[in-house]
Amino acid sequence: MAFWTTLLIIHGLLAVALIGAITHQAVSVWMPVRAKAGNFVTRFRAVPSTSYVMAIIVLYVVTFIMGAWIYTQYRFTSRLALEQLRFFKTVGVFEMKEHVATIGLILLPAYWAFWRQPLAEDYAGARKSVTLLLALVVWANFLVGHIANNARGFGS
Amino acid sequence: MMASSRLAVFMIVFSVACAVIYVISTELNLPLLTYHPAIGELDFLWTPERRGPAMYWYGWMLTSLIGALVLAWIASIVPEQWVQRGIFFGSLAAVGYLIFYTLALFVYDKATIELEFLKSRWLSLGAAVLAAVAISLLAPAAWHQRLWPGWVVVVPIGALAVLAYYLTPYFTR
Repeated sequence: MAFWTTLLIIHGLLAVALIGAITHQAVSVWMPVRAKAGNFVTRFRAVPSTSYVMAIIVLYVVTFIMGAWIYTQYRFTSRLALEQLRFFKTVGVFEMKEHVATIGLILLPAYWAFWRQPLAEDYAGARKSVTLLLALVVWANFLVGHIANNARGFGS
Repeated sequence: MMASSRLAVFMIVFSVACAVIYVISTELNLPLLTYHPAIGELDFLWTPERRGPAMYWYGWMLTSLIGALVLAWIASIVPEQWVQRGIFFGSLAAVGYLIFYTLALFVYDKATIELEFLKSRWLSLGAAVLAAVAISLLAPAAWHQRLWPGWVVVVPIGALAVLAYYLTPYFTR
C-alpha cells in the first residue's frame, strides 16, 4: 500500500506543478501586462507565456501516466469500496475525471502546434482558447482528484 | 489567403478526430484492449470481467489514438477545404441530430396518439444529415477556404458534454 500511496503523492505534487504552470500561462495570455510589473498580481500576469509550453506538455503527460497507473489500483480497491458505500456521485465524478483527463491529453498536439515558435498570428485566438480549456481541464481534474481521494472524509 | 501548414492541419484534425472517436468508442464500448487489474492480464479487444473488474479506458484511448492518426494523416494530404467542409458538416450533423432527436422525443411524449416512428434514431439522423447538407451548401464559400483552428476547442467541449450526459445515472440514483 505504501507504494501506491507514494505514487499518489508524487502524482499530486506533479499536478500542483502543472496547475501552477498552466495557470501562469493562461493568465499571462488572457490578461497580458503592458506596463512594468509592479505588485504580486501584475508580476503573476507578466510571465513570458511561451516559456511554459514544453514544461506544461511534459508535466501533463507524466501526471497523466502516473494517474493512469494509479487508476489500476483504484479500480479494484477504492472504487469497489465506494460502490459498496453507495458513493455513486463520487464514482461518477471520478469517471468524468478520466474522460476530462483524456480530452486534455488529446488537446496537447494542437496546443503544441499553436504555440510553436515563431508564434503564428493566425492562431492567436485558438492559442488563447486552447490554453484556457487546458487550464480548466487541469483545475477540474485537480479538484475532482482531491474530492475523490478524500471521499470518506469529504462532506460525510 | 495562405493555406495552413500540413503540420497544423495534422495536429488540429488529430485533436478533433481523437475527441470524436473517443466519445464513440466509449459509448459503443469499442476498446482495442481490455485490462484486468486484479489479475494483471491484458486481452485484445473487448472481453468481459474475469475475477475482478475489467478496465476498458486504456482500450478506448488506443482505439481513438489509432483512428485519429489515420484521419489526421488523410487530412494532411487532401485539400484543406475538404477537411474544413468535412468537420463543418460533421459538427452540423451532430448538433442537428441532438436537436431533432430531442424534439422527436418531446413530440412523442406530448402526442395524444401513438407516434412510435418518432423514437427511431435513424429518422433523426436522416433529418440531421439532410439539414447539414443544406446548411453546408448554403454556407458562404469563405467559410470553407481554411481549416478553422477553433474546432480544437469546440469539438472537445461538445465531446465532454456528451460524456457528461452519459454519466448522469451516477448522479440520479
